[in-house]
Parts: sequence; C-alpha cells; structure tokens
Amino acid sequence: MHADTVAEDEEKWLAEGIAGVQQNAYYMHRALDSNNLKDALKFSAQMLSELRTSRLSPHKYYELYMRAFDELRKLEMFFREETTRGNCSVVDLYELVQHAGNVLPRLYLLCTVGSVYIKSKEAPAKDVLKDLVEMSRGIQHPLRGLFLRSYLSQISRDKLPDIGSEYEGDADSVNDAIEFVLQNFIEMNKLWVRMQHQGPQRDKEKREKERSELRDLVGKNLHVLSQIEGVDLEMYKETVLPRILEQVVNCKDELAQFYLMDCIIQVFPDEYHLQTLETLLSAFPQLQPGVDIKTVLSQLMDRLSNYAASSPEVLPEFLQVEAFAKFSSAIGKVIEAQPDMPAVSAITLYVSLLTFTLRVHPDRLDYVDQVLGACVKKLSGKEKLQDSRATKQIVALLSAPLEKYSNIVTALELSNYPKVMDHLDNSTTKVMAVVIIQSIMKNTTCVSTSDKVEALFELIKGLIKDMDGTLDDDVDEEDFKEEQNSVARLIHMLYNEDQEEMLKIICTVQKHILRGGPKRLPFTVPSLVFSALKLVRRLQGQDGDVVGEDVPTTPKKIFQILNQTIEALYSVPCPELSLRLYLQCAEAANDCDLEPVAYEFFTQAFILYEEEIADSKAQVTAIHLIIGTLQRMNIFGVENRDTLTHKATGYSAKLLKKPDQCRAVYACSHLFWVEDQDGVKDGERVLLCLKRALRIANAAQQMANAARGSSGSISLFIEILNKYLYFFEKGNPQITSSAIQGLIELITTEMQGENATSDPSAEAFFASTMRYIQFQKQKGGSMGEKYETIKAS
Amino acid sequence: MVLVLALGDLHIPHRAPDLPAKFKSMLVPGKIQHIICTGNLCIKEVHDYLKSLCPDLHITRGEYDEDARYPETKTLTIGQFKLGLCHGHQVVPWGDLDSLAMLQRQLDVDILVTGHTHQFKAYKHEGGVVINPGSATGAYSSITYDVNPSFVLMDIDSLRVVVYVYELIDGEVKVDKIDFKKTATVHS
Amino acid sequence: MNYLIGAFKPPCNITITFSDGKTRKQVSVKKENGKTVMVPVFQSLETISGEVSIEPIQGKKVEHTGVKIELLGQIELYFDRGNFYDFTSLVRELDVPGEIYEKKTYPFEFSSVEMPYESYNGTNVRLRYILRVTISRNYVSNITEHRDFCVRNYTPVPTMNNSIKMEVGIEDCLHIEFEYSKSKYHLKDVIIGKIYFLLVRIKIKNMELEIRRRESTGSGPNTYVETETLAKFELMDGAPVRGESIPIRLFLSPYELTPTYRNINNKFSVKYYLNLVLVDEEDRRYFKQQEISMYRLLETPASS
Repeated sequence: MHADTVAEDEEKWLAEGIAGVQQNAYYMHRALDSNNLKDALKFSAQMLSELRTSRLSPHKYYELYMRAFDELRKLEMFFREETTRGNCSVVDLYELVQHAGNVLPRLYLLCTVGSVYIKSKEAPAKDVLKDLVEMSRGIQHPLRGLFLRSYLSQISRDKLPDIGSEYEGDADSVNDAIEFVLQNFIEMNKLWVRMQHQGPQRDKEKREKERSELRDLVGKNLHVLSQIEGVDLEMYKETVLPRILEQVVNCKDELAQFYLMDCIIQVFPDEYHLQTLETLLSAFPQLQPGVDIKTVLSQLMDRLSNYAASSPEVLPEFLQVEAFAKFSSAIGKVIEAQPDMPAVSAITLYVSLLTFTLRVHPDRLDYVDQVLGACVKKLSGKEKLQDSRATKQIVALLSAPLEKYSNIVTALELSNYPKVMDHLDNSTTKVMAVVIIQSIMKNTTCVSTSDKVEALFELIKGLIKDMDGTLDDDVDEEDFKEEQNSVARLIHMLYNEDQEEMLKIICTVQKHILRGGPKRLPFTVPSLVFSALKLVRRLQGQDGDVVGEDVPTTPKKIFQILNQTIEALYSVPCPELSLRLYLQCAEAANDCDLEPVAYEFFTQAFILYEEEIADSKAQVTAIHLIIGTLQRMNIFGVENRDTLTHKATGYSAKLLKKPDQCRAVYACSHLFWVEDQDGVKDGERVLLCLKRALRIANAAQQMANAARGSSGSISLFIEILNKYLYFFEKGNPQITSSAIQGLIELITTEMQGENATSDPSAEAFFASTMRYIQFQKQKGGSMGEKYETIKAS
Repeated sequence: MVLVLALGDLHIPHRAPDLPAKFKSMLVPGKIQHIICTGNLCIKEVHDYLKSLCPDLHITRGEYDEDARYPETKTLTIGQFKLGLCHGHQVVPWGDLDSLAMLQRQLDVDILVTGHTHQFKAYKHEGGVVINPGSATGAYSSITYDVNPSFVLMDIDSLRVVVYVYELIDGEVKVDKIDFKKTATVHS
Repeated sequence: MNYLIGAFKPPCNITITFSDGKTRKQVSVKKENGKTVMVPVFQSLETISGEVSIEPIQGKKVEHTGVKIELLGQIELYFDRGNFYDFTSLVRELDVPGEIYEKKTYPFEFSSVEMPYESYNGTNVRLRYILRVTISRNYVSNITEHRDFCVRNYTPVPTMNNSIKMEVGIEDCLHIEFEYSKSKYHLKDVIIGKIYFLLVRIKIKNMELEIRRRESTGSGPNTYVETETLAKFELMDGAPVRGESIPIRLFLSPYELTPTYRNINNKFSVKYYLNLVLVDEEDRRYFKQQEISMYRLLETPASS
C-alpha cells in the first residue's frame, strides 16, 4: 500500500470519526437539555464508540480523542448537576453507566461518573480510584487502552487522596493514591510496550516512531507521582522507586527503558536520587543491551554533580551515601553486562563519572585515577582507538582533570593517565599533548621535579618524537611548527629554585628532546639551551670547581650538556642557530670565568661559520654577532684573544659585498678598543681597521663609479667618519683631527664631484654628522677644545 | 595624539613562554595606532598576536627571527616625528650609546628605537631620542642580568612625545614617564 | 349491529376483585395479544380472597345451575396448543342453582394455596395462574370470567453458593482460567469475576460475556429446546498477553430474567448460562458455557 493512500484514507477515517462524535454529541446535548438521562447515556456511549476504531494512527487518534474528551467534560458537568440536584444518586449513576454493552464507552463513562463520585465524597476516593484502575483492564488494545488510562489519569489528577488533599481519607490513604498512580503507570507501560508487536514486521520502524510519540502519556504518571505530597523520601525509597524500576526492568523494551529511566531522573528531586542511588543504579545493568545507558547515566551524574555544586551543604550527603563508589561500581556492572557496548559509550560513561567526581570530590585524586584505571581496563587488549567519537571522549576524559585542577602536576600523579593516553591514535595523542601543554601555559603551572618532568614527557611524547609505525608525511607544516613551538614554550615551565633539582630537570628534558630528530631539534634546542643558561647564571659566583664532588651542579657540567645539545642541533644541520647558541654559551662561560670553555665555544662557532654558513646575508649577520660577542669577552688571554680577533677580522674582510666588508671591518675596530677599565686599548690596530675600511670603501666607490649610477658607497665614508669621531672622542691618540678633517673634505669632494649622483640619504647623514660636530664644538669644555681644530662648515 | 607601542626581544619561545599575562591584559586591540617592534619575536604566532593588537605593525629583524623578510632598519614618520627602527645587534659595541647615535644620524631620525640589550633605556641625545624598550617578556640576556619585562608606549602629540615605560617588577607593573620636546629648529 | 352484539353478549357482568387489590404489588404481564396488563402478585401459601360480583344486564335475569370459582394453575405448551395442564385446581361453590335478578356479591377465599411454580411466559411455554368464575347453565353455554394473577416465589439467600472456577483452553493456543464469584444469582445480582489469561497464542479481538436462557419443553423424543441470548456484554477490547487478568462486573438488573426452573411439573425447564466468548481477529469464536442458577431473592426489609 502506498503511503499516500494510507494517509488519505486516514484523513477520511478521522473525518468520519469526528462526524460520528459530533452527531452523537448533538443528540447527547439534546438529551441533556431535556434532562433525559437515559438518552444522554445512550448517545454518549454511541459517541464514545467512535473511539473503538483501529484504523487511525496515534496522532490522528489523539485528535479524535480530544473531540470526545471535550464532550465528556460537558457530560461530567451534567452528571454533577444531576446528582447534586438529587435527580439521581451518584451511586445509581455509577451502576447505570455500567450497563453499556461495549467495554470502551462503558469505561469512559465510568471514569466520568467516577470523577463526580469522588467529588461527591459519597465514597472514599481511594475506593473509586481503585475500582476505576482495575476495571480499565478491560481495554487490552494498546492505543485505546493508553488513551483511556490517560483519561483516567487526567480526571483523577486533582482527586488523589494525597496528604493534605480534601480527598485524603484515613491515615494510609496516601498509599492508595500512590498505588493507584503506580498501577495505572504499570498498565500503561505494558500497553505501550506491547504496541511494538502490533501489525506487520515491515512497519516496525514507523510503529516505533508512533510509539515514541505516545511516550509522554506514560511518563505523565511519573510526573504525577512526583507531585504527590505524600511521596516523601521514605515512600519513594520503599515503594515508589522499586515499583517503577521493577516495571522498567521487566518490560524488557529498549525504547521504554531508555525513556523511563530518563524520566525518573528528570521528574524526581536530586535529593531522592542521591538517597536511593543504589536502588536506581542497580537497575542499569539489567536494562536491555540496546538501551543508551550512557546518556541516561550521564544525565544522572550531571544532575547530581550540579546538585553538589548548587550548595556545599549537600556534599556530606554525597559522602555519606558513597555516591562515587556506587556510580563506579554501577558503571562497571553495566559495562560488564553489555560486552558489545561500543568503546565510545563506555568512555562517555567514564567522562561523566569523572566530571561527577571532580565536582563532588575534588579532593579525591584517587577517585580520578580509579576512573581512569577503569577506563584503561575497558580499553585493554584492544588496538588503538580508531573511532573518532571515542577518541574525542578520551580527550574529554583526559582534559577534565586538567581543567578542574588547572594544574598538570596533579594529573601527573595519576598513574593511569598515561595508560589511557596509550590508547589514543598518534594524531590524537598529539592533540592531547597540546591540550596538556595549553593547560600548563594557561595556568602558568610550574613543573618542578625531574620525576614529574619525566612523567610529563611521557604524556606528551606524541609531540616529542616520531611515533612508531606511522609516517608523519601528511602532517601540516603549520601545525607541526605550532606544536613544536608549544613544546619550546613548555620547557620554560619546567623549573625549580633548587639548582640541583633544576639540573636534573634539564638533563631529563635533554634526554627527551634529543630524541626528537632533525625536524624537532631546531624548535626545542634553543629553549633548553636558554633554560640551562639561566641555571648557569644562577650558579655564577659559586666557584664551580670547589662545590664538592657528589654535587655535580656546576656551570662546567652544564656547559658540557649545552655542548652536547648544540652539537645535536649542529648535525641537523642548523648552522645559523647553532652559531648563535655557541656564542651565547661563550658569553656565559666568559661570565663564569671559564676561559677554555668559552674558547671552545668560540672555536665551534668559527668552525660553523667557515664550514656551514654560505649565504652572504647570513654571513653578515653572523659576523656582526661574532664581533659583537667577541667585543664583550674579557677573560681571554692575549694569545687566545689574538687568535680570535684575527679570525674575526679575517672573516670580515672576506665578506662577499664591499659595503658589508667595509662595515664589518670598521666594526672590528671595537675589538681593539674596549671602554672598560681593563679593556684593551690598542689605538694602532683601531686605526688599521679604520684605514682598511676606508680602502674597502674606496674600492666600493670606484666600483660604483664604474657601474655609473649605482650610488651608496658615499655613505660608507660618512660611517667611517663617524667611527673616526667615535675613537677621536674616546681619546685614541692615533685618530687625529687632521685625519678627520681630511675625511670630511674627501666626502665633500665626492659628494660634489662630477660623477656624483644625488643621494639624499647620504646627504642627510652627512649633514647630521656635520651638525653633530658643530654641536660638540659648541659644547665647550674639553670636548669643545678637542673639536676646535675641526672645521665643520 | 597618537599612541605608539614600542617593544622587542620577546624571544618566544626560545627564552620565554609568552608575554606576561599582566601585559597581555593591558594590550588590547583598538587603542594603539602603531606598533614598532625591534625584532626577535621570534615566531609567526607572536607576529600574528601583535598584528591583532594593531594592524599597523613595523618590525625590524632580530638575529633569532624566523621571518627573513623583516628589514635590518626601518624609518617611518608619525606626526612631526621621524622614527628609526633597528634591532641593534648590528651596532657594535652592543647598546653603546655613541654608536647608536651614529645610527641615528645615519637614519636621520628624531627617535631611534633599538633593542638587543634587553634593558630599557631612553636617552635624549643631541635633540633626538634613543629608546630601548627592553624585552617585553623579560627574556634572558647575555648582556643584561635580571631582566624585567618592559615595553614602551609613546604618546606623540605634535612636537611633544611622552614615553611611558611599563616595567613588570616582582609581579607589579610600574609605569615611568619621560617627556621629550622636539625643537622645531632641528631640521632647518 | 348493536342489537346483534347485544344478543351475544352475556346477560351479566362478572367482576372478580381481590380483597387487597388496591395495596397489593402488581406487575405487568404481556398478554397473548401483545398488550401488557397489570396483575397482582402472590406467592405460594398466600391466601387469595376477594369478591365476585355478578350484575345482570338491566332487565335481564340469569338462570343458572350453580356458580363456582376456581383457582387454576396451568401450563400451556405452544406446540401442543390448546392443551392446558392444570397442575392446581381448587374450587369454591358460590351459589346453588337459581336465578339472579340483580347484582349479587359472593366473597371467596382460598386459604394458604400451594402455588409451587412461578408464573412464566416463555418462548414455547406459559405457566399461569387464574381465578375463573363459572355460571353454569342448562342448554346454553356457561358464562365464564377469569382473572390472571401472578405468582412469584422467593427464595432465601442460599447457604451454599460456590464460585465457578475453571481452566479451559485449546492446547498450545489458548489457556484461560475464569472465575465467577458465585454459581447462584438473584435477579438483581451482579456477576463479579475475573478471567486470567494463562497462554495466548491467538490474536484475540475482544471478549464478551453472554447470558443465555435455555428453555426446554416436553420430554423424551418430544423435547423442544429454545435458547435465547439475553445479554451480550463486552468484557475486553483488544488482545491480552499472558498473565493479564480481566475483571468481570455485569449487573443483571437491566435484563429480564426469571429464576431457574427445573422440570416444572415434568413439562418444562428454564435454565441460565453464562457464556464466555473470545473472538479472534478472523472472527472465530471460542466459548465456554457455564450454568448458573437464578433465584428470586426474598426481599428482606434490610435489602430493599
């Protein structure tokens, strides 16, 4: 049959049904108006007979039901008037409606009169309700039964003999109220569950959908229960919950179990859940394998964690009922009971449990570890997780303690933490490692022992080295950079005031990062180097060699480590960075008065420069760094110093471009004139450098002239002039005012010469230099005197 | 009134994990008109971060910068002032004022901003100013011991520039103010 | 025409009145012509007394050979039309032969009449009680007049009233157990019971409880049995599953029932049955019939 025709037919049937209801309702009203009870009953029964149809879907049936429902309200009103006026006793009426031959109309009428009966208080509410709920068994057709009982529930809601209600009878009548609702609930659920067996197998899916639409009819009962005053904790614990759960478990229906468990959790107060945790949880392992337990259980845990968070006063209750232990064991049982449960569901459960324990028992790290341990157990013996949803959950699981404690050090105490991580695939391991690092950075957590550093590196090993098995060819370059940079940042967070421990940390870090391979070293080595250099600086002042043998925390020891480390970087190769680091080490060694060490570092730098740095621009920078560093070194003996300065000037003169040569060479002049107390002041060699620079500038100028139009070297002369002024001011006897005067004239000539092209920047430079001379002249005093002979016009 | 943020030598991630949180909370987008950075950021993330604070970003190259496209020196004009920017490792001896003065003359600028020494400095010099904003992260330096994180905000208003120095000392931000006036006659 | 009618009209009017006719309870009885009339109700061993008055039509005299009144209990079997079996016949002579000129009244009394059977109006049989006045005459036909009355005999609440409980079924298809709380019901009684479904493998559509009356007349090879369904009462809608129990509550008052009559004067019996019917989706009917015994409850002041 085509769906369209079914739908069309259904519309037609519904229309017919509605017409039937309306027509009979019309006659019913006429009878009511003329106080003809007999006819009223007859037509109302006929009207209700329309509800006997089997042809409508739940949706359409509901529409029809609502029509009849409206009419029944009017009928009820009539009954009430009729009985209060004394035309007919309610007891008689109660019997009278039972004469109807068809069971469905009979029961609708009975409920309607029942409502009046209770209101009249001629019989205890509990007796009437009991009768109604019992008689309703006559409807075994699921859909019709559900709606009838829903009607019963509707008319009785405000008439339950609850505590404090006007219908409350003798002492125990609340029991009857509860019993009534429970009974109706149980019967409704049975009917609801039974629906799935109605009709052909092929329509199952559609039927389940329809069934799902009806669930609230069943759930309403639980809501009613939750509203009953008399359902106090004791009552809930002893009667209500066990009865509901019995029904839930016994119905063996996935849809119903899922819905009802969820419903229980939603409608009853958190406090009740907490106090009946054991009972409630004991139901879970008994549910059908297809039930989405994780969602329900998670919901429960979420609710209770929120409850715990809502007020600190409730926390003792959690402890008292051992909520964690109960959840933990329940989850264990559920997982055991459902061996086919997908990993993602199990992990989701653990995530919820973890969230719960973090909120409720933030001080119980052992609980956290226990949860992780349980998760490891579940995952053990399995391959790495391939399911992306499951990995996502693991990431959530592992992230939760980080977020909670804002301190990785706490997580490092969790023995099961790395074990859980072992089940992640390589890319997720990395993601997790990044999360861990981010947590550390965000909270500026300091990891302060080598043991913890060791543990931390175990956690983030996905970033530290290539993971076995897979080739990371498809790794995005940007991502990789970002990851490695984050590791580099992390290294600064591994710190201890205690120097000995700090050295241990450095050794640990070194051990790990040296495994990183050529791609990672350029990112990680600098951080390690500077971390170590910071330690060196802290050790300065202590004389390295006398600190005692069993304490190897000496600058020397660290320099050894540094040497090894940079060497590894060197062999990547990564010459420019290595050179910079060697120079940094050299300077640090200088500060520690370790001349051989400093010399060794310089030597390494020079080797690198000679052998590895080929790019001219890189050479220029390197030379400046070498000169700059060397200029600051003050521990070298004459011989060592000579060797090094000689080499440095040599390299300078060999740079590719003349201007670069020129600048490097005049920079070298500073190697021979250091404005320290004990600094070298070799005026002659300064002059030699400057003269050499001039020669190179000249050569450059000639080349420029030859090339015609390419200007720029005039600036070199001005720069050299400035250097002359510098040493002139510093009192270098080799630099004379006449030499300066000559240089000024040279520049003036060059700038005014025939071949000179206009170079505004050089002109500005020269102008400001001349302005400077003028300024110095006007200063007066010794400086003014010095400058007196120099003409600056 | 123009606000110029001057900073440099962050050395992230080689020597420091990040900018101090206190600085980060002070530096919010939309307040600063220009950023001048002497270099040694060192990585793109930092560049992007600065760019997010203010799109008008001027950087010269430090010896650890991964981006080789940064120039060695740069000049720019803000209001009445001509500013020069250079990392400073090229100027030997490092941090030497007289040597930096030569660079200032060479670039022909009113304000020269350099770094490298990780030590905040601001000199008035022959009618010009030489500023070193220090290291914004307080990074280790072979030149300066006990580096405090610092940066500089310049408030340039016609012929006047007020230099605010923000320094993080023992977890507290300390602000210093230095005032410079440019004499209109300098460039004649 | 009037003349002619007058010619055949009996020369006198006979009226039979009961001495407590104004106060006695009356019930409606359906007559052969379909009309219902109200008749007084008596029970066995009551004294039936009253007056017979004979009033000759003006100007006429009634010559007779004697006047008598009879109390008759009759069973009339329809298939044997015209044959009455008088199981009770009592006579009182009211007058010696003579002539009646004017209205004359005779009191009568049948004291403590034994009337063991109830009046009954069935399909094939009728049991009735009448008072018949006969004015015997020579040469011309006797003048008779009769008056119906109804007899209802009340039974006290039976001391023994077992429930009816039974397990029935079709092997591997359907097993049910039903229970009616009593086996004996009075006419305004309520049938209370329950049906337990022990096994359900057929698709049941609904379940009804029927009240059936079986009237058997005659005897031996000439027995006629007539069964009537007096009530069809739906108990259940839809298909139950095993373990379900369905309540029964059927009020008997709306139905026109009589007590069970067993072998009344060897002429007829009326028996009642409860018939439980299960209908499956293909409209097949599964049923089980149980006899119940009906009785007329002696109404005590408390129960009325």
